[in-house]
Amino acid sequence: MANKDKSEEKRQESAPGVAWLMGALGWFLPGAGHVLQGRWGRGLLLGGAVWVMFIVGVLFGGHLFSFTAADTGTNPFLQAAPAIANLGTGGLYLFCSLLGLNFAELPEQMRRATFEYGNTFLWVAGLLNYLAMLDAFDIAAGRKS
Amino acid sequence: MTHLLVMMLFAALVGAVMGMASRETPREQFRYGLKVFCEFVVIGLVLAWLLYFLPF
Repeated sequence: MANKDKSEEKRQESAPGVAWLMGALGWFLPGAGHVLQGRWGRGLLLGGAVWVMFIVGVLFGGHLFSFTAADTGTNPFLQAAPAIANLGTGGLYLFCSLLGLNFAELPEQMRRATFEYGNTFLWVAGLLNYLAMLDAFDIAAGRKS
Repeated sequence: MTHLLVMMLFAALVGAVMGMASRETPREQFRYGLKVFCEFVVIGLVLAWLLYFLPF
């Protein structure tokens, strides 16, 4: 009984490299971590929700937050939480960051009634992708069926 | 798109992910996702009505 508990504990503690890879891929491209494990339905639903939230957030006039705060001139500590949330969208965030897309707080964007909704959708898209990433990791590590 | 529809879209997407990621069987996932969706919508409507009566 004690041996069984120990082996169970060891199995839960050690995660194979492929689990880390699936988690990283799931973060980089929302849904990819599940799709590559053959979990098409789960991947399409989880990834699709993140993609839809990100696109709706951008269409609503939301903007992404950077860690440097050079664009807004505010304290970098105030930027950290929303930037970490935005970073959860992985490749989408990096793509926009590399091209400098949608980071500026433009006055015409801020005047829109849906501006704050857009920001919220963008934050939550990232936070949900963190959940999806952990789910892909757990499945690959055998902790979840 | 009305504010209510935006809130319902938000609740549906969050409910779908939360249900899928935190439960095992499809039935449990659906039930939990639906519960999260309903909680978002009902609490949002209750808060909206409470704020409506505030004078500031």
